[in-house]
Amino acid sequence: MNQDMSSAFPHGEGISRETMITIPCTQEGAPARLVTIFGSVAPNHEKHVHYIFDLGGPGYSEIVLTADRPVASIARQLPAAAWYERELHNQYGIEITGHPDLRPLILHENWPDGVCPMVDPVDNVPWSKRDYRFLQVQGEGIAEVAVGPVHAGIIEPGHFRFSVVGDTVLHLELRHFYTHKGTEKLFEGRSATDAVMLAESVSGDNCFAHAVCYSQAVENACGIDIPPRALAIRLIGLELERLVCHISDTGGLCTDVGFGVAAAYATRLKESLLRESAQCCGTRYWRGIAVPGGLRFDLDSDRVAQLGQAVAQTFRDFSEIARMILETPSIQNRFETAGVLSGEAARDLAVVGPVARASGIDLDVRRDHPYGLYRKYQIDVPRTHYGDVMARARIRIAEVAASAQMIQEVTRSLPDGNVFTPVTSQGDIRGFSAVESPRGELCYWMEAFGGRLTRCHVKSPSFQNWPAMPFAVEGNIIADFPLINKSFNLSYSGCDR
Amino acid sequence: MIGDIIGQSLRHPSRLIPEEALLGNCDGSRMPDVIADRLTPAIAHRLVEVCPTTALGINEHEGRAFLTLSYGHCIGCGKCLESGEGAVVTAKDFHWCGITREQAVRRWDIDGRVEIATAGPSAEIARGQIHALLQRALNVRQLDAGSCNGCEAEITALTNPYYDLERFGIHFVASPKHADMLLVTGPVTRNMADAVKATYEAVPAPKLVVAVGACGCSGGIFAGSHAIVGAVDSVIPVDGYIPGCPPTPAMLVSGILEVLRRHLAK
Repeated sequence: MNQDMSSAFPHGEGISRETMITIPCTQEGAPARLVTIFGSVAPNHEKHVHYIFDLGGPGYSEIVLTADRPVASIARQLPAAAWYERELHNQYGIEITGHPDLRPLILHENWPDGVCPMVDPVDNVPWSKRDYRFLQVQGEGIAEVAVGPVHAGIIEPGHFRFSVVGDTVLHLELRHFYTHKGTEKLFEGRSATDAVMLAESVSGDNCFAHAVCYSQAVENACGIDIPPRALAIRLIGLELERLVCHISDTGGLCTDVGFGVAAAYATRLKESLLRESAQCCGTRYWRGIAVPGGLRFDLDSDRVAQLGQAVAQTFRDFSEIARMILETPSIQNRFETAGVLSGEAARDLAVVGPVARASGIDLDVRRDHPYGLYRKYQIDVPRTHYGDVMARARIRIAEVAASAQMIQEVTRSLPDGNVFTPVTSQGDIRGFSAVESPRGELCYWMEAFGGRLTRCHVKSPSFQNWPAMPFAVEGNIIADFPLINKSFNLSYSGCDR
Repeated sequence: MIGDIIGQSLRHPSRLIPEEALLGNCDGSRMPDVIADRLTPAIAHRLVEVCPTTALGINEHEGRAFLTLSYGHCIGCGKCLESGEGAVVTAKDFHWCGITREQAVRRWDIDGRVEIATAGPSAEIARGQIHALLQRALNVRQLDAGSCNGCEAEITALTNPYYDLERFGIHFVASPKHADMLLVTGPVTRNMADAVKATYEAVPAPKLVVAVGACGCSGGIFAGSHAIVGAVDSVIPVDGYIPGCPPTPAMLVSGILEVLRRHLAK
């Protein structure tokens, strides 16, 4: 139970009376990596702020602050905290002092001032027309280009405000949360075992990672272990999702530079895996398989073996395509030096996943905070320090190879036995779990009373990585923006929740 | 590189799925179907109890009880398959896309153990009819009103070599100003409501709006959230409904064609 924190922080203890936390340090003395910040309301109506850090060991560390007074911002020391604190201010009405930018983040102009959905009644909230000011870049020849929320293609909505001189982007400001569906609030009151369906709908293309992560949080909270066969099948599902996502992203990058042949090959490979999944488990994206306690139903071993063979074939085909992509001069020309995210910016904003690894950060939840069957595997974490589009493409290509190999190993030695351990949750339970989703570190923190959720927080890798994207775009030409954005491949719905 | 491309193309046969195999297919969607003669009042009540989105319900009419299944609400979670004692199975084919929400609802007389026939299922679309329906040109603009990205992933799949939507003359266009049809996914969030209306306004008439997925048809798993306005038809007029969570590419193709067919038959 390396990831379990519930026993370390029984209700009420560990709560400091200070209005500002002391940022913890790793063993080497560097400031710890911020994982997430979120609010909660105790039964006595006290508001709490939870900070979760990664100190470098196998566990995570949580600090809980009572927000009975204004809370001092830590965004100046840890820029990664900026969006989380804005969210707290917006959703919980917690006063944050010393924050550089407290404009509404999640609730747009249509929300009236002073409504904080996580603590206030939200029936029939009136429509309003507030003001929102974008940062203005002034000077000779500077123009603003507004893009979105509706984009030209089959993509999720979000707004980008570019300040440009000619073709060159001086500044990019993001305006997101168009797909905000109040998911965290919607968790409250649901049965802790059934709410996994909601977790599956946070980010549709990473739904299995969300389902597993939520399930693990509940399992950690109840202190139960799930059968080995369920762990093995979960690993197959998680790695398959990564494989599908990375193949699709590599194809997407080709689309954005007009290399249609490779893009079409990638969509073919992706579709072949989705069809194989439908044969194996009944749904194309592994929806409705993982539940707290293991799996909803067992998968046929022969079908799983077939899936392993399909992955092997897909990997052989993909290797050829990848070689074609990496060796084509016109692709190299577009990918290399485009959209550089410096290691410094990446560390300041505590980015995660392939984006972090492409900018030199050595980070992978599967290796650093192992869970499930990953405890038995040696995970090699590919890393480069270039931080450009090519670096992110290379990281993905390397991870496809690792995932394909892991799936084949596990499908060859699938344990027998049942796939479900009943979950019994009485009284007050609390659990935390982290999973390396295809986009990076995904965390769930849940709290339930008598089997009903009282709070569920989702730390999505996209929420963490979006603020870093503008830093990669600055100095590039606006025409390269779609390519750079695609190389990050962030989820809007996962971020907006 | 040219050699590589030719080599790849020669080694891999065409993956194109024939039209006949596509229409009505719903593999991988886990849409439920009810076996009428296994239905009992006890099972029907349990089904309604386990359904997380009110897709299953019981209506009383003139002393008789009816089980209703609204596909527009169904997220394919499979709970009813688990507790139906064999009375609920995964649907083998799917013909329940409609131009009203009502056309995506089925009813069974619980005591009589028979299905009450409604407007659907339609006669299968004949191969020759497809081109007559589309006249080889339907421009579609996809609009995400707040979806989880599951529906987008499946809509994107329509352009891959398995489905190749262009063979029917259906194109995805970049601007609503070029579109004949809006495919709207997701529950309409408060933050997207204005943009959804503006996009609808930008599509030139005559235009069709099709709500896609459980969220678009009914709000799905997000129904009742404070941050959403509701299903697509609570914000703009809707001319067709394609259920599924998410609908598979085959269901999307069949749905688009079915909605067109029903409109022309009106």
